[in-house]
Amino acid sequence: MKIIFLTVFLLSANLLSDSIYNFENEEDELRFNTLVKEIRCPKCTSGSLSSSSAPISEDLKLKIVQMIKENKTDEEIKDYISMRFGIDSLYEPEFRTDTYFLWSAPFILLLIALTILFTRRSG
Amino acid sequence: MKLLLKLLILTVPISFLLMFFVLLTEDKSYPGADYDTYNFPKFELETLAGEKIFNSRIEGNDLLLNVWASWCITCRVEHPYLMKLKRQGIPILGLNYKDEREDAIEWLNKYGNPYEDNIYDYKGSLALDLGVTGAPETFLIINGQVVVHYQGEVNEMVWNEVFVPAIEGEGLF
Repeated sequence: MKIIFLTVFLLSANLLSDSIYNFENEEDELRFNTLVKEIRCPKCTSGSLSSSSAPISEDLKLKIVQMIKENKTDEEIKDYISMRFGIDSLYEPEFRTDTYFLWSAPFILLLIALTILFTRRSG
Repeated sequence: MKLLLKLLILTVPISFLLMFFVLLTEDKSYPGADYDTYNFPKFELETLAGEKIFNSRIEGNDLLLNVWASWCITCRVEHPYLMKLKRQGIPILGLNYKDEREDAIEWLNKYGNPYEDNIYDYKGSLALDLGVTGAPETFLIINGQVVVHYQGEVNEMVWNEVFVPAIEGEGLF
């Protein structure tokens, strides 16, 4: 009797510990958890996929799991989503022709500030 | 050198102000409209009637694809306008989105059917591949390619300003 109780108890604990998404290894799970934080939920004003349980976000999460299982790279997964839901679905915009200015602006400003600083010193 | 410095101090903030003014006041009257052109994704689903439906239904065709569901209130608002488009001879294909088959059929029987056919996308897999975030959404497909993707209700105004220019450019329907 004790043994039956014990087995039932252990089995139910095992069932409860199962996560929603099944991954083959920890690396995949880590990739998933990173990706859902880097991708914006298409239905929210500002919130990541990980923070959202909107139906569309759940679908996207399942799609990401599926793509990870198909051995797609992070780039391919991000491309899939930004192609369909716009480039602003990525929190960190890619380095492309229309984002050159966005990425280089801090360095340009720094350069201007340094120039001003040094010309003042020498002047 | 001093002059250059003074000029910089003046021009840099002004150019930034100008940039933000131009970018932030850009008048996008239809934020739901997207004019990217891409091939219609591959799919293999059933129609509401239970027959198989594939890409071949869309490949090479010119039509309107409307994403709808019986639970979607805006779809009900949009519905009379779709009926009007049907009367004008516009071919409309329905994409029934995350709906119960019986509910969808009942809805069409009750309010009228503007669709030539209905793709039954219970899981929303094709919709996800199309970048659909909800219902209603409407796609203009020319020669099997998506040319307009509109999120939200299509009415007389949206039709005339978003869809008609694309259709007239191609001389369709």
